[in-house]
Amino acid sequence: MRVTAGQELPDLVKHPTTRQLVQYAGAQGDFYEIHYDQAYAKSVGLPGVILHGLLKAGFIAQLVTDWLGDGGTLEAFEVSYRGIDQPGRPYRCRGKVTRVEGDVAELEVWGEDEGGKRTTVGTATVRIA
Amino acid sequence: MSIAIIEVIDRLKTRIGVEGPPVIATVEAGHVRRFAEAIGDPNPRWTKEAPPTFLVALASGSIHLGDAEDFGTGWLNGGNRFEYFIPVMIGDQITARGHVADVYDKAGSSGDLLFIIFETVYKNQRDEVVARLRGTMIRR
Repeated sequence: MRVTAGQELPDLVKHPTTRQLVQYAGAQGDFYEIHYDQAYAKSVGLPGVILHGLLKAGFIAQLVTDWLGDGGTLEAFEVSYRGIDQPGRPYRCRGKVTRVEGDVAELEVWGEDEGGKRTTVGTATVRIA
Repeated sequence: MSIAIIEVIDRLKTRIGVEGPPVIATVEAGHVRRFAEAIGDPNPRWTKEAPPTFLVALASGSIHLGDAEDFGTGWLNGGNRFEYFIPVMIGDQITARGHVADVYDKAGSSGDLLFIIFETVYKNQRDEVVARLRGTMIRR
């Protein structure tokens, strides 16, 4: 596959639901109550249940692996969670190639809430086949 | 910051470098399928291989530090860094070894925050390092 600096990845828009948070809690084995118990989430100062950081990481990883297809491999992936995201609101994953050196490309990746605020920011390194 | 909180931080700092018990687990097809379904990722590749973040479902990468819960009211995930060396395939037997890499506190906009950095190395049945994970957990 041909990759150039400045190239944008096709957006991946997710529509997380509370049901999905429960599904993810079970699949990952993370049963922290802030992800499915509204009363508990509010008791620790949150507006309600929030998405798992690692679920958002999973969404952003999907953004990259969908784009790569069989054309390369993910070598490293780093995300910082800068804000909370709630179910019932769209979560848009985006990415851009920042640098290409030989067959290695560096990407900037991020997740946005519906207002366009980057609640997750990160980078990925891929090796192009 | 109160003396009690300083004591909590000092106690946690003594855990830097301490390894948690190793976690040994097989990458099961059904578990990988449920994990990919929970993310909503229908890529057929995940019928043979584990998706990039799946390893956290085998071993979360954090060690339970009850002491940390004396600080603040809740946990937040600050970030994760994954490095991949060898694909993780269904049927692999993975051994995860994690340790506390760092503990520090920082003043945040709405009070003090406690940061705990965990590092986990995942190896397969051939003793090859398949991935490394660094995670930042925050008490606020």
